[in-house]
Amino acid sequence: MLHMYLPIAGNSVNVFLILGLGGFVGLLSGIFGVGGGFLMTPLLMMFGIPPTVAAASDSNQIVGASTSGTLAHMRLGNVDVPMGLMLLIGGVGGGTVGVQLIKLLRAMGNADFLIAITYVIMLGGVGGYMFWESLQGLKKDKQGIAVTAQVEEKESVKGGKTFLQRLPMQYKFEKSGCEVSMLMPLSIGVLVGILAAIMGVGGGFIMVPVMVYLLRMPMHVVVGTSLFQILFTCINVTIMQSYSNHTVDFVLAVLLLLGSTIGAQAGTAVSKRLKADQLKIMLASLVLLVCVKMTAGLLMTPAIMVALKGGH
Amino acid sequence: MSLMRLVKITIASFLGALLLVPFLECSADAAMGDVSLELAQDTIEISTFYNGTTLEVSGDVAVDDDVVLLVSGPREEVHLKEKGKVAGFLWMNKKDVILENTPAVYMVYTPEGSSEKLVSTDLGTGYQALLSDISIMPESADKAFIFEEYVKLMEQSGVYAVHAASVQYGTPENGMKSFKVVLVIPSKMKAGTYSVEAIAVKGGVVIDRAQSGLILKLSGLPAVISSLAYERPLLFGFMAVFIAIATGLLIGVVFRGGGGAH
Repeated sequence: MLHMYLPIAGNSVNVFLILGLGGFVGLLSGIFGVGGGFLMTPLLMMFGIPPTVAAASDSNQIVGASTSGTLAHMRLGNVDVPMGLMLLIGGVGGGTVGVQLIKLLRAMGNADFLIAITYVIMLGGVGGYMFWESLQGLKKDKQGIAVTAQVEEKESVKGGKTFLQRLPMQYKFEKSGCEVSMLMPLSIGVLVGILAAIMGVGGGFIMVPVMVYLLRMPMHVVVGTSLFQILFTCINVTIMQSYSNHTVDFVLAVLLLLGSTIGAQAGTAVSKRLKADQLKIMLASLVLLVCVKMTAGLLMTPAIMVALKGGH
Repeated sequence: MSLMRLVKITIASFLGALLLVPFLECSADAAMGDVSLELAQDTIEISTFYNGTTLEVSGDVAVDDDVVLLVSGPREEVHLKEKGKVAGFLWMNKKDVILENTPAVYMVYTPEGSSEKLVSTDLGTGYQALLSDISIMPESADKAFIFEEYVKLMEQSGVYAVHAASVQYGTPENGMKSFKVVLVIPSKMKAGTYSVEAIAVKGGVVIDRAQSGLILKLSGLPAVISSLAYERPLLFGFMAVFIAIATGLLIGVVFRGGGGAH
């Protein structure tokens, strides 16, 4: 089998394994509009890549995958650029606050506990709610009531209007089909940015449900806009990580990239054929699976009682 | 007076003899139990498609002696997290511990049949023998336990190992016998300078040692990337982003080409 040496990770990997891994995560990224960092980093660690190198190289890889994904979704008219920009600005601000918060907590000595608990609660809560909600949607479909996700979403917009209209700086986000205050996506961006910094991930898997349930955006626009926002977040992370921590393994990133860019294109095509509820239930199952694995890891007695410092 | 003088001379010569004994014994045994060592190559290049390798080591040892081989790497400070229970039931990385003066690589190779006798603290071989060189921070931490767990972690990546029954002897000739062993160089063994040591042992005592250096160095693409990442990190970051975007766009264009341009 063909192996390649990763000079920054200090290990060699099977080329086909990493291509496959990139392809799999790229597919998910194209379908759901998540970066896949919450899946890729643990998977890479399983194959012997140090946690810090895994996370940083994955960000590099996501830049490529989300470029390809954003482009594909733009062609389909699924990217709400003003919405994406607002989320991005909020996200960068929130991320900076989050990083400082983690520094403070580390100094106080209970950061790891907070990180683990945030992970389990966020994954479990988000996954559980999405799963339940989409299951209801699918059941209604089966009963012959032609309730598509889009209709449901428009109804929900009606319900939320009174509160949202009171906020200043109202703006009509055309692609998202909603008129809300600019402060809304901005503050959501800040919130997700803080959470993402605490959890050490891009935050796609939090951003997507937030756009669906809080901003009531159509699922397909959510995916495109999320990818657009992730692209810029990861460009920033890649440069910062290369500069301050020397943890971006270029060889690893390029291998993952080759797999994931192709996966992302395939994912976009798959995403087009699936219904919103089907998309949501699949993402929910995936998030729940990671949550269960993480909880098991916290409850079971570890085989080795020490770990190399560096990861979460 | 003369009696005192006699006593003094006797004591002096006795002490002198005592000092000479180990020296004489050592040189006598060295002549008898001399060990030699030769590496098939003393530099291993880590190039683009490198996935660890093997290295043949051979030598001669006195016919009555056994030989143990030690491969050890640069001593370093290791930062670890000790796992512990939080809130009574959640296992997490809890305390920070630092192991100082810990070898990055430690591998022991022993001949068939006598492995147990040859891996011992007295001979300075095996993990237990390393323990006295290593110090722990904070000092209140359980050094033996932490190091034992660290060894398990390193054994998983192949850089710590005890390869029992891996040294093969040849037929004796002129009071000496040849030995041969194939060293396993795992891909996780980083670029650096390592030591390969052959230790001749007889009756539970070290008789002689021979040592040779082994260099692992990056070459080709890994060398270029590594120097760029550490020497020009900002340029490296921008390059990584640029290549990622270019690849993403290229794949996007290829796929659009398939679906027809608009």
